[in-house]
Amino acid sequence: MTIVQAEHITKIFKEDSQSIPALSSVSIKIEEGSFVALSGPSGSGKTTLLNLIGCLDRPSQGTIHFDGEEITRLPQQKLAQLRRRKIGFIFQDYNLIPAFTAAENIEYVLWLQGISSADRRKRALEICERFGIQALIHRRPYEMSRGQQQRVAVARAIVHKPKIVLGDELTANLDHKTGTELMGFLKELNEKDRITFLYATHDPVMMKQANRIVTLQDGKITNEKTATQASF
Amino acid sequence: MFLLKLAFLNIGRNPRRSIITVLAVGVGLAALIFLWGFSDGTNEQMRENVIRLLTGHVQIHALDFERSLSPELTVPDGSAVLEKLKTLPHVIAVTERVKCEALIGTSEKSRGILLTGIDPIREAQVTDLKNHMKEGEFLGSTEHRKVILGSRLAQKLQLHIGDKVVVMTQAIDGTLAGYSYEIKGIFHTGSQVLDEVSAYITFESAQELLSVGHETHEIVIRLASRKAIPSFLGQVKQITNAEQHEILTWNQIIPEVEQWVQWSEAIIRTILLAVMIVIGVSIMNTVLMSVFERTRELGVMMAIGTTPTQVIRLILLETFILQLFGIALGLVAGYCVTFYFGKVGIAFPELEQAFSRSYMSTVTYTRVEPFHVIQSIITLLILTSFIGLYPAWKAGRMEPIKAIYRP
Repeated sequence: MTIVQAEHITKIFKEDSQSIPALSSVSIKIEEGSFVALSGPSGSGKTTLLNLIGCLDRPSQGTIHFDGEEITRLPQQKLAQLRRRKIGFIFQDYNLIPAFTAAENIEYVLWLQGISSADRRKRALEICERFGIQALIHRRPYEMSRGQQQRVAVARAIVHKPKIVLGDELTANLDHKTGTELMGFLKELNEKDRITFLYATHDPVMMKQANRIVTLQDGKITNEKTATQASF
Repeated sequence: MFLLKLAFLNIGRNPRRSIITVLAVGVGLAALIFLWGFSDGTNEQMRENVIRLLTGHVQIHALDFERSLSPELTVPDGSAVLEKLKTLPHVIAVTERVKCEALIGTSEKSRGILLTGIDPIREAQVTDLKNHMKEGEFLGSTEHRKVILGSRLAQKLQLHIGDKVVVMTQAIDGTLAGYSYEIKGIFHTGSQVLDEVSAYITFESAQELLSVGHETHEIVIRLASRKAIPSFLGQVKQITNAEQHEILTWNQIIPEVEQWVQWSEAIIRTILLAVMIVIGVSIMNTVLMSVFERTRELGVMMAIGTTPTQVIRLILLETFILQLFGIALGLVAGYCVTFYFGKVGIAFPELEQAFSRSYMSTVTYTRVEPFHVIQSIITLLILTSFIGLYPAWKAGRMEPIKAIYRP
């Protein structure tokens, strides 16, 4: 089943009366349960494509269907509701809410869904236990290491069982070992829980984990490989 | 609930800034409560001074007497009306007076005065004149040819206790009437009207002077409180004749007091508005700074599904919490200060001359008037919430993508 279908999407940023094209007529389909890497050099349009698929930005041209719904013209309020229900985000800088503890950061997403206090706490504790971060539940972000923050960010991204999890340069701020561990962990979630992942990276090691690699260059898709093709 | 928790946590993230904002709201509100307390205390004293020294709560005259002071305009059926008044609810005391314009003089000097004939015992139940004797004594009920007069009048005529004065006026039949009176007492009320142009003789002496027989010019009623006036007026109309009697309340007799009150309240409302705007801008600055510092965080919150409405609600909640703490502080501080000065008073002895023209006392006892406190709080809440809408609206309009990637 197709979760995301983007057709001929173009994104042009305007800066000081200059038009800067970031994506040019890109079409992409993301199937449920896939583990897709977006690769390409800096400025190739990876983050822009992720933001468009994640309903954080609107394309200048083209259409995006998310879970069968055309989203390009939805108002902010509707987009926010769609993001909270169907999308999980893992940001490069983790971006946890500093005032909240780890458990509260995870619970916040469930609160947005209207889940009761008792259920929120139960589900947050369950996921913390699964991720091995139960010792961190009362800690605030500044009391955690980068790797620990990243785990909490992943827990926050998947606790509400989204259709897709989007990640931008997930391992950029992590050392190699922690980065590899994280990717292994995400892969496990993908395989066991059938969670769809789409992440942008320019790290070849991280690309290897994907079962599909989409390469962008100068705002266009220049190459697409499956894991099997990539291994050759 | 979660949003409320987040609002509290956000306020606690920069405690110094939050405390300064709470203090600004608190001190501003406390100052307003004190200012209202001072104004309400002054105004209340002015009203009560007029009632207790001069007018009572309500007076009954013959039609047109209050304007003309014509001696022939006595209260129709005065004795009967007086007796009926005593039976009405809210009535504490009733007295009657004979009043006229007169000339008081010695062999060397004379001045125009308002001469009032009073029943000393009943007058003391209606007004506080007896408590303001500076020298000598108040009138006795059977004393004829005795007079008490105001301190300024005595000073201007260089009169002392025991001195003789001649009081002359036009009697009811148009003839010039005059008698010699001995000064029994000199009173000092602090009111220029009373102290400079008033003299009192006994009721019977005045009736004799004006040749009005057993008639009266003025019936003065003291009620349980000013609040009782409207219901009393409804009852008093049933025992009087609208074609013959004029019923006047204290503020109809001396309208300048209420005019002064309205003027002073208008000034306070102007100050109130200015203070509110300063407080509002202080809150807006705090919240705007807080929003600006958290742009990225708010962007992430929106990215993970917080709607613009929820962001606006969060920012408004933060504003509201700051307001509430400030209001609580201001309420306690303002009440304590106003209550304290309501007990000990604030003295302005050097302003006696200025105050004497407007029935003000030289010691002001501040007074907490719940209506004005509530009005200040509601105005503060509405105005600062309105000003607080701007940062909230600004936060709600953020585009998550721009907020997250803001440098």
